[in-house]
Amino acid sequence: MVIGQRPALHELEHKARWLALLMLAIGLHLFEASLPSLGPWFKPGLANLVTLLALIWMGPKAAVLLAIGRVVIGAFFIGTLFTPTFVISMAGALSAAFVMIAVWRWLPGVSLIGISLLAALAHMLAQFVTVESLFIQQPALFYALPPLLLLSTISGWLNGALAMYIAARLP
Amino acid sequence: MMATLQGTRADRLLLLAALTTIVVAWLMIRSLMASGPAVAAVFHGDTLLATYPLPLAGEQAIHFEAEGELGSSEIIIDQHGARIAASPCATQQCVLSGAHRHAGDMIACVPNRILVTIRGSAEARFDAIVE
Repeated sequence: MVIGQRPALHELEHKARWLALLMLAIGLHLFEASLPSLGPWFKPGLANLVTLLALIWMGPKAAVLLAIGRVVIGAFFIGTLFTPTFVISMAGALSAAFVMIAVWRWLPGVSLIGISLLAALAHMLAQFVTVESLFIQQPALFYALPPLLLLSTISGWLNGALAMYIAARLP
Repeated sequence: MMATLQGTRADRLLLLAALTTIVVAWLMIRSLMASGPAVAAVFHGDTLLATYPLPLAGEQAIHFEAEGELGSSEIIIDQHGARIAASPCATQQCVLSGAHRHAGDMIACVPNRILVTIRGSAEARFDAIVE
């Protein structure tokens, strides 16, 4: 684009759509942060649903940038920027986004439900690996994983179904 | 919406694989953690600070100050289990999580890098005392 020249309408539309998704993801991120804790580092994963929608509508780059953007801006609002909570949240969100991209590209036959399921599991695993590597270097931490992975399986499946429902109505 | 919830055949296979792995891992961990008498272990980062047997009813509670990254976490171990009574962290999630006494339970305060784990069972300790 030449300086001074107006951007094309489809470019502006693309940016506006991405920003709308980012606002939605930040809102859901803040909503989830305000929920009572169901266990260490467990959230329903609604913000990941927006990453998934960004992936199928706008591609991998938009999805990764959205995941980074909502964690950074969300942490700014919650007051956890650059704290351990922020690092754990970023690790989870990025792992989920990369697993979504990998499954979407290379696993045929898997719908948004399967993608969301694997992303939710990756999110939880990445959080534990981050805590164990950087903050509390005790393998005993992983003993708490199975019940949380079970919750992630359920939330991942439900979020995937919700993403399919939304995607079918907002193509 | 109900039809959407079913997913594809590949989704259901992934679900089955995930559930099988999680349940098998959970059963293995439970049996591993439930052996021996009930003890609470307190860690800071990669260092084991202390281990205490969980007191039975009528026994004196244990107060332990664990020095962490931000300051001192006050840990109380009594007949109800182990809990973090006070912590210098901002969120206080560790304090709010309350007392834990079952094998495999744990309380993690990531900002202060403190971990409290429970392993073994109260019944096993009771058996050991009787013996």
